[in-house]
Parts: sequence; C-alpha cells; structure tokens
Amino acid sequence: MSAQMPHKSIVLQSLAQIGNCGLFLLRILAAVPSSLRHVRETVRQLWFVGAMSLTIIMTCGLFVGMVLGLQLYHVLAIFGGTSATGSVVALAIYRELGPVVTALLFAGRAGTSITAEIGLMRATDQIAAMEMMAVDPIAYVAAPRFLAGLIAMPLLCCVFCAMGIFGGHLVGVSWLGIDNGTFWSNMTSNVDVWDDIINGVMWKSVAFGAVVSLIAVFQGYTTPPTSEGVAYATTRTVVSSSIAILALDFVLTAFLM
Amino acid sequence: MSQRKSYAVGTGLFIVLGFAALAYLATQTSSVANSHQGSSYTIDAQFANIGALKERAPVKVAGVRVGQVQSITLEPGKDVADVTLSIDKKYNEIPTDSVATIYTSGLLGDQYVGLQFGGAKTYVADGGHIGLTKSSAPLEEMLGKFLGSGGAADAIGGTYSVRADFTNVGTLSVGAPVKMAGVAIGSVASIKADPVKLDATVTLAIDKKYNQIPDDSSVSIFTSGLIGSQYVAIQPGGSPNSLKDGDQLVLTQSAMQLEDLIGKFLVNGSPSGSNSAGGNSSPNTPAGKH
Repeated sequence: MSAQMPHKSIVLQSLAQIGNCGLFLLRILAAVPSSLRHVRETVRQLWFVGAMSLTIIMTCGLFVGMVLGLQLYHVLAIFGGTSATGSVVALAIYRELGPVVTALLFAGRAGTSITAEIGLMRATDQIAAMEMMAVDPIAYVAAPRFLAGLIAMPLLCCVFCAMGIFGGHLVGVSWLGIDNGTFWSNMTSNVDVWDDIINGVMWKSVAFGAVVSLIAVFQGYTTPPTSEGVAYATTRTVVSSSIAILALDFVLTAFLM
Repeated sequence: MSQRKSYAVGTGLFIVLGFAALAYLATQTSSVANSHQGSSYTIDAQFANIGALKERAPVKVAGVRVGQVQSITLEPGKDVADVTLSIDKKYNEIPTDSVATIYTSGLLGDQYVGLQFGGAKTYVADGGHIGLTKSSAPLEEMLGKFLGSGGAADAIGGTYSVRADFTNVGTLSVGAPVKMAGVAIGSVASIKADPVKLDATVTLAIDKKYNQIPDDSSVSIFTSGLIGSQYVAIQPGGSPNSLKDGDQLVLTQSAMQLEDLIGKFLVNGSPSGSNSAGGNSSPNTPAGKH
C-alpha cells in the first residue's frame, strides 16, 4: 500500500494520496460495526487521544483567549467600543479560532502519536501478524483510533472555547478594567446558541476531527515500514492535516454562514 | 485489569468535562442566558417602520428589560408591521394607553422597544394590544431635520414649482428652505440670472400638500438670525385663487444687504449720505459669509 512513486508528478501523487485516503475512509466505515466489539480499545484510545491532550488544549485556550482580549481591546478602543470586547472575543473563538486552533493542536499532538504508533506497528510487523491471525487490523487498530479522534475533537473544542472565554475575561475585566456586567451582557446578547455554538463549534470540530483522525490513521497505515518512512509519515500527517483543516474551515464557514 | 478500569474512568471524566464545557458555553455565554423565559404573556403592537428591530430584541420599561420581541410579521396588503412582544408575567401592569417606541441603544447599537406607561387604569392582558406606537426614525429624516433644507418636502415628484423674480437674492443658495409662518414647506430649486430683465429668477419647489397658498402672496428673502443663512419666506395674501404649478409670484422683496442697512443709518443719521439704498449692487459678502 505504498504510495512512493518517485517518477510521477507531484500533482498526480497528491491526487493519488487523496483518492487512497477516501477509499481508506470507506474501509474504516465498513469496519466500524465490527470494531464495536473492541469497545475497550476505543475507550483506551479516547483516553490517549482526548484526555491526554487536555493539558495543551486548556493552556493554549487560555492564552488564545488572553491574547484576543488584549488585541481586541486596543483595536476597539480606537472606536470607543471597548464594551463590545466580550462579544467579539466570544464570536471570534466560537466561529473560527476555537475549532481551527484546537484541530491544529490536535493534529500536532494526537495525530502524530496515532501515526507514529500505527507506523511502528506496521514496521514491527504487528499488522502483518494480525492479518495472519484473521484479526481485521482495520477494525482493531484503525477504526478505534478514528472513532476516538472523532469523539474527542468536539469535546476538546468545547474545553478550548471555555478556557478562551475565561482568558478573555481575565484580561478584559481583571486587567484592562472593562466592566464585568458589560462584558457578559454584551456577550450574551450577541452570541446565538444555534448559529455560533452549535454551527460554529460543534459541526466544525466534528468535521475537523474526522479529517485529522482519518489523515493520521491513513498515514500511519500506509507508511513504508522503515524508521525513515515513519518519520516522514508523521510529518505528512501534520502538514496534510493543517492544509485540510484550513481549507475545510473556509468551505464550512461559507456553507454554514 | 486495573489499568483498563482507569482508562474507562479517565475517559468518562474527560467526556463529562467536555459536555460540561459545552453546557457552560451554551447557557452562560450565549443569548440563552438572557431569555430566562419563565412564564410570559404576549401583547402586540403595530409599527409603520420597524427600522432595524430584530426578533428577540429586548423590550424595556425605564431601561430595564421586561421581555423580548417574539415575532415581526407583515401581512400582505397592509403597510404596517405587526410586532408581537412577549413580556414576563411579573410585569403585568402595563396600562393600555402606553406608548411603544423603537429606540436605538447608543449610537450604533441594536434597536429595542421601549414602553412608556400611560395613565390608564386598565392593564394590557395576554393577547392584548398597544395602540400607541412610534416608529423608528430613519437616519435620513433626522439628518434632514438638522440640515433644515425642507425636511418635509423632499419627496421626489411631491412638489410643484413656483417662480419669483428678485432684484437681489443676497446669499440665497439652491436648497435653502422656503418657509411659511416659520415652517419649512419647500426648498429653492434653482436660481438663475435673467439676461433680459436683469434680475434673478428663483424657482421654488413647494410640497404638494401646501396647495392652497393664495396667488397674491408676497415672497421675501429673510435671514435666519443675525448672521444665519438666508431663506425664502412666503407671506400669504388674500386671493381666493391658489398657486398652481408654474405660477409666478409677483410681489417680491429682495434680500437686505449689509451695505444697504449701514447706508440707511448713515443717510438717516447724517446728511452726507454715502451710497445708500437700493439693491442693485452685486450680491457680495454681507455679514453672513466669512
């Protein structure tokens, strides 16, 4: 399943990769019912992929919120609209920064670990051993990780957004002196549950989670079984995920707004 | 075995944390937090112009939120909008003659409905109706009032033209208001110099609803205030016939020039009159211009 064809053009190579990825997705979806037999595996993956990412997600959420509060306060002060800082921080985080930054961090932290783990399993012939034992490696290895990523991303995104709001509040109210009541009332009157939170946070993060997990699992599964190949696949996970996240973000924004 | 249990417990905690964060976001930071729609009752009002009012905009009494706009609809064939307001049940003593006005919060803010209580003894009940409403003031109307150039009569095609000849228009400019009894009824449409009669022909555009101005009215150019801009004033005459489109007003009084006034004083005060009255001097700067 190697895609190393050094004499083909880059465009054809990329297209072939995308096509293989899509077909891989179909194989994973076909294997989901049988992977439900391995619920424990999915739960374990959810722990590694989701709960272990909490540290970085919460820290970065806090800092993103703080920096947004700071930047937006100074820009809004030009127009005398600093009372709107709360709502602008919330809208920026819910609609764009929350899902996208969470997805990028997730790709960097969880995506690479998935790719490296599966790549090493292939390099140490564990996947071949499973095939010989008539255990479907996709159902046992790929599908649980894909599902775990799909479930973890929205949850992580919500945590990121909550920390972002907290960070924005910390900077805006405690440090820069915006009135607490104004901060919250402006925010609550401008943020809509359906348009911003459900559409922006939930749908986007589910889509990003699917894309990142798929790319991570695919790269790990199809890497050439050498140490160099695994390293290369890990890099490609991050790069491809990032491009896919940002492109999909634009498409989803246009579609959902 | 115990490792598997800790994975399960930890994962469960993670999922709970995620949902708790989502619940916090949805309830505390979004507009759901505002509308603690306990129990409420609905009343409706009709507005000629809702401006930028949106659904779920607040309804306020004395600036305090008492409810929100539930729906805004326009029945085909009607030219007033039906706005349904949902008011918290605890504010159930709104007099039936209260006035509902659409205000704007701040300079660029959202619009909301403000209720000013009347003095009636009966209160609006569920499903009731507020009869007195004031629509939102569109920006153009307010600017028109400030600029003073005939806030009433700017409707295209809603004016009729009348001419008047002046020997001196002073600093009258196109667009200056035409006033009757101090109220703007139109504006100056054009000012042209007549090469034959050697005076100025001023065309006035008067709002069509003032169509009973006697055709022997006199028209003068006055100055608003001491150094204000000049405007055209119509003083009604007594003729039973009204002015029609294209008519000419014969009795005119030209603008007073500063030099004329000073000249009058000098002539009256001392016999050595320097160039006195008479408005054939070119309309150059009286005190109004700087």
